[in-house]
Amino acid sequence: MNYDLVLCGVGGQGVLSIAWVIDHAVHEAGLHFKQSEVHGMAQRGGAVSAFVRISDQPVASDLIATGAASMVLSMEPMEALRYTQLLRPDGWIVSDVTPLENDAYPKHDALYKVLFSAPRLVVLDATRLAHKAGTVKAQNMVVLGAAASQLPLPTELLEAQVQELFASKGERIVKANISAFRIGAAASAFATALLAAGVPSTVLARVLPLLAFEPQPVPQAGVDAWCRRLLATDGAQTALRLFEAGVTLSPESLPA
Amino acid sequence: MNFGVTMSEEILLGDEAVARGAIDAGISCAYAYPGTPSTEIYQTIQDHVKEHELPVRGLWSTNEKVALEEGVGVSYAGRRCLVAMKHVGLNVAADPFMNVAVAGAHGGLVLAVADDPAMHSSQNEQDSRYFADFAMVPCLEPGDQQQCYDFTREAFDLSEQLQVPVLLRLVTRLAHSRAAVTLGAPREQNVANYVADPSRFTLIPSNARHAYARLIDKQPALQAYSENHAANALTLRGEGKPGILVSGLGWNYLQEAMGDLLDGYNLLRIGVYPLPVKKIRQLLDASSEIWIVEEGYPFIERFVSALGLMRERPIHGKLTGALPRMGELDSDAIKRCFGLPVNLSLQIPGLADVLVGRPPRLCDKCPHSDAYIAINEVIAQYGPGARVMGDIGCYALGYLAPYQAIHSCLCMGSSIGMAIGASHAGMTPSLCVIGDGTFTHSGMAPLLDAARDNTNIKVFILDNSIVAMTGGQPTQVTDEEVVDLVAGLGVPREHIRVVTPSWQKKEQTLATIREEMAYNGVSVIIARRACVTYAKQIKLYKRACEEQTE
Repeated sequence: MNYDLVLCGVGGQGVLSIAWVIDHAVHEAGLHFKQSEVHGMAQRGGAVSAFVRISDQPVASDLIATGAASMVLSMEPMEALRYTQLLRPDGWIVSDVTPLENDAYPKHDALYKVLFSAPRLVVLDATRLAHKAGTVKAQNMVVLGAAASQLPLPTELLEAQVQELFASKGERIVKANISAFRIGAAASAFATALLAAGVPSTVLARVLPLLAFEPQPVPQAGVDAWCRRLLATDGAQTALRLFEAGVTLSPESLPA
Repeated sequence: MNFGVTMSEEILLGDEAVARGAIDAGISCAYAYPGTPSTEIYQTIQDHVKEHELPVRGLWSTNEKVALEEGVGVSYAGRRCLVAMKHVGLNVAADPFMNVAVAGAHGGLVLAVADDPAMHSSQNEQDSRYFADFAMVPCLEPGDQQQCYDFTREAFDLSEQLQVPVLLRLVTRLAHSRAAVTLGAPREQNVANYVADPSRFTLIPSNARHAYARLIDKQPALQAYSENHAANALTLRGEGKPGILVSGLGWNYLQEAMGDLLDGYNLLRIGVYPLPVKKIRQLLDASSEIWIVEEGYPFIERFVSALGLMRERPIHGKLTGALPRMGELDSDAIKRCFGLPVNLSLQIPGLADVLVGRPPRLCDKCPHSDAYIAINEVIAQYGPGARVMGDIGCYALGYLAPYQAIHSCLCMGSSIGMAIGASHAGMTPSLCVIGDGTFTHSGMAPLLDAARDNTNIKVFILDNSIVAMTGGQPTQVTDEEVVDLVAGLGVPREHIRVVTPSWQKKEQTLATIREEMAYNGVSVIIARRACVTYAKQIKLYKRACEEQTE
């Protein structure tokens, strides 16, 4: 088993904290890994990345080869696109949808159009969901939660390391981060179910960032209702209309 | 002695593994100057020593030369010392390095130097293996995090056994990559035992000739050590097969790229220098042609191919264009080198249209931004030709838009000397900017020149009270200490001006700069405002300083 993972974002978005959680969970699981990261000047608001390579055999290279990564996990939608060369043709992108703009940042419509065309994509409003979980700083744990079911690790091991990472910061912060992680997990389970039912990735990507997930799985009735709605002949138009309206929706029931 | 650790496994960066290896090897002292990718070595030593209350002393030294000289002092006293720096730091420390090689080590002396192929955070890709070769001392080149730990421990034994300083060469991708590392039982520190014969470390010519002869006499022993080392592993699979000579991280990428195909090659892996010439001879004799895979300069290739003159066997590597001459190796480069296909990757149409670069930038509310805004406004009146010599630190980002305020960045401390030379050459005005950390690293000596000469230059010292770019190490002097230091170097107090770089104080700052621009002589304008990103650390450091003086 080999699983290569690219973590990315902008300096200060908590990419290295995600790496810490995964490293320690991998180690607890008795697997081998190498994890390289970026330090120094790049952290001053520049693009940052970390590569995690997980295997049941000793890992040789610290770098990920072209087309070898199973997932790009990104804290920012444009950064999600920076590393697709490393992604397998059937690889996943899990990303926050909230742009962190810099000079020459692309128009959001154009960016989303390209990103949302990725075939295996979970894109969510991690920033808002983290706020809901108790601290906007837990954005990274929402994204990690959304990636968790794909990783070759038991989710409980990841949760235990989230707990460990924030233990020194007090009960409230630990709870907020665990909650953020579970919200991300609920979002990704919902997304996976809809994709498996045949909802196109481009359609789902326009709805998923609007949904206010809870730290527990979406009830089956909600999943089924959204499935039917988005698989209907006007599903794509509905998704587009909702995305443009930009209002928060419940994953448990359809909008009026 | 309580070392606070027993046999265990921990997740460590390459840098952290070096630090832990040094502690477990029984160092009594450690010195470093921060520089990416080496910074975490001393940072880890400092943190670990504090947490476990170990009797290990150390400093963030003023610069790398001082750090190494402090290390030589420890070695002289018979105890073990690690000195850490980035590759270009070894240029600064080259003088003590070349000479302690001649003098020889007494207590174990290990120099951990982190190279930066691909220049992630550096101005060049220089390969420290050349320095080890130049000084005729051994170089250990770990290929993974476990070897970082093991080789560091071994380097201390080797240093004492053969009485030489040992260079441990790291590269960014190992320094800043994590893996699980098994730690061994710690060794006791040496009892202090001063070098018996002071002539060894007194390199007046009559002694130096003897010392240099001893260094030359040590070479066969170093050669034998390298020939017999398990990390220099020769695997001959058959006469006439192709061969690969690989060192350091190259081995990792080679395994990744080639997998089982490697079974068809004769193979020599190198992790210890001087080069194991007998094993290289065996590889050459057995192989039809040789590929040389190494991270950094084509160091081995130049020797083995005799600069490409050797016709005995075809040799392929960085000199011949088989592998890229610049940057880092990776498994894709090696696949291409051996004609293997690179994996397909996900293609997303239109991606190039929406993906723009995201270079680092100065933080919001950074005092350097306000300093640059003021400098730009003043020099605008001198026309577009006005130049500002820059230096190394976060403020080098002032080269980029929107400030575009500096026009050079050569090496640590270079701004002042360059401004002096440019002024002598007729450049008016001649300005330079330098941070408080870089100023004490290597800006004081050129300012002494400017003060003696009363050169018409305007030196901006950007005093943000911290070494910010490398993660917030304490600065040697700040606030009024900088004023006193500058005055002590001979700059008249009336031309040492302190301004606050902020938008509220902008008019005063502009007026002060203009006054000094009108003066024909050396002026130092200190732009004093604490770094916003490390405000908390700065408070802690200042409190610690106050407690120390009380």
